[in-house]
Amino acid sequence: MKTILESIELTKIFKTGKIEVAAVRDVSLKVREGEFIAIMGPSGCGKSTLLHLLGGLATPTSGRVLVDGEEISSGKDAIRTDIRRRKIGFVFQRFNLLPTLSAQGNLEIAQEIHRNGSRDPQHVDEILNLLGLEKKTHHKPSELSGGEQQRLAIARAVINRPAILLADEPTGNLDTRNSMVVLKMIQELNRALSQTILMITHNPEAAGIASRLIEMRDGRIVSQQQEGEWNATEDRMSL
Amino acid sequence: MSAQLVLSNVVSRPMRSLATALAVGVEVALILLLVGLSTGMIRENSRRMAGVGADIVLQPPNSSLVLAASTGAMSVKIADLVSRIEGVKAVAPVYLQFNTSGGMGLVWGIDQESFNRITQGFIYREGTGFQGPDDVIIDDIYADGRELRLGDDLKLMNHSFRVAGIVEHGKGSRVFIPLDTMQRLVGTPGQATMMMIKCDSQSDIAGIQSELGRRLKSYPTFDMSSFAAHIEEANRDFGPLKYFTNTVVFIATLIGFFIIFLSMYTAITERTHEIGILKSLGAPQGYISLLFLKEALVLGGLGFVLGLGLTFGGRFFFQLLMPTLQHKLPPEWLLYTGLLALFSAGLGALYPALRAARQDPIEALAYE
Ligand SMILES: Nc1ncnc2c1ncn2[C@@H]1O[C@H](COP(=O)(O)OP(=O)(O)OP(=O)(O)O)[C@@H](O)[C@H]1O
Ligand SMILES: [Mg+2]
Repeated sequence: MKTILESIELTKIFKTGKIEVAAVRDVSLKVREGEFIAIMGPSGCGKSTLLHLLGGLATPTSGRVLVDGEEISSGKDAIRTDIRRRKIGFVFQRFNLLPTLSAQGNLEIAQEIHRNGSRDPQHVDEILNLLGLEKKTHHKPSELSGGEQQRLAIARAVINRPAILLADEPTGNLDTRNSMVVLKMIQELNRALSQTILMITHNPEAAGIASRLIEMRDGRIVSQQQEGEWNATEDRMSL
Repeated sequence: MSAQLVLSNVVSRPMRSLATALAVGVEVALILLLVGLSTGMIRENSRRMAGVGADIVLQPPNSSLVLAASTGAMSVKIADLVSRIEGVKAVAPVYLQFNTSGGMGLVWGIDQESFNRITQGFIYREGTGFQGPDDVIIDDIYADGRELRLGDDLKLMNHSFRVAGIVEHGKGSRVFIPLDTMQRLVGTPGQATMMMIKCDSQSDIAGIQSELGRRLKSYPTFDMSSFAAHIEEANRDFGPLKYFTNTVVFIATLIGFFIIFLSMYTAITERTHEIGILKSLGAPQGYISLLFLKEALVLGGLGFVLGLGLTFGGRFFFQLLMPTLQHKLPPEWLLYTGLLALFSAGLGALYPALRAARQDPIEALAYE
């Protein structure tokens, strides 16, 4: 399988005054096409920072990130933005929907940004139907439940068929029932559409649906396990 | 789609959008009312000038076509000289004086007999011509505007006059007093500020003008058929008025600029999180800047429309208060103010828009 995302000796050091915090240290990682990776680790170990670096939202102190062969870790904002636009879909714990736009509008703006202006209303309708949101097309995010908002956010992240979906605790703000629905949707994307996914989670059950588990501590990757190698396998959710 | 985002952002804060647009509207209305009033006044004056019925106007040397600002004077004896020219039917010396007591406007001092020969006489609504030195003739609009009636007292140039006649408007001035009285009040006995000349035939006009040019070299003459155009042009180019208009236009535009600037600056702070979202979706800087510029242009356009409403409302209000006031909107100024509104909006939004685009995506996303 082709490598779709690669980080090479990635390091990020934050300086606040005289204090330096190495949030990510020397992380080398390869993600193959169609993989579903879960990242776990204690709070503050650098998971989000790593995700931001991989998605070009931030620049590393040293090291490189290649997305589908293109270097996204260069300093230039315009280049990082362009690769992000073409190759990456983000899902966050805070759903991060545009509050003044309807569900449909939120999907369309993602299309518009991706395609430099054009959009595809039919594809938007398809996705809304798939999510069971066809009756909420014209609802604003504030008029949707948390679960519905996160489903919409996931739909927005994948509507342009990104090379990789980066999710930062997508179920962190959801109750158990909604978490299940959202996780099922993410799993479905990976299985049915071979969507490559990298997901941060605190929830071992959520991690259980991934094909590889990465554990981080103090900015480093401390262990990697393939599917079937970790404990959670036994109580894997039957989604 | 981005159009939808722009509009939904405008609508999501209706009071802020309305207040911003209204400020631009005030900018537009301020300019249009001022320009409209000065244009209206100038047009009205030149139309009344043409209504006198003279064929040629003779002015003293160094005089101005902006009649209110003209200070030159000439001897009334020149009238005799002019009347001896072949083809001249009648000559009327007139003394124009700008009056500021009790409302502003030009007062004409006329010799009633010669003036009547030019105008074919006033059409009297009420009363008669001058019966004595302290009589005044006013036109119907002036009378209505000030609720003056026959026999009423009217103070002009610190002197008390009695309303002797109310005439139909359109012949030169709204207020006439006897030439002798005017000369006495101003302290210029035997002087006039212009001569109204009527010819036997239209075909004589050019010949008489050149004859006048020969005999009275430095005295400018104007063919009445082109005088109105000359006077409008002269007023437009008249220094103080132009300076005043430019100042108002500049200040109004500045107000529009600052209001848009503040409004958009506040908006980008308020929408920091949304900017972060757009960045995470891969929106380039230009896209984000343009979003805010478009919003400002929508507000500017809205402001222009509101400004037109304010202008017509203000005009209606003015005319209720002061019926003698004429307001005429030159159509090109609608275009100018429209462009100015958009210009000040775009300029005001420029810095906030660029700032918005340069936000750090992580910080913006973390913004509460
Ligand atoms: N902008 C910043 N400036 C300074 N330090 C930062 C900044 N962002 C993150 N850090 C620090 O970097 C470290 C890693 O933060 P990060 O957000 O990546 O952790 P995390 O693993 O995502 O934690 P959590 O599970 O709580 O979300 C933390 O110690 C944090 O305080
Ligand atoms: Mg985190």
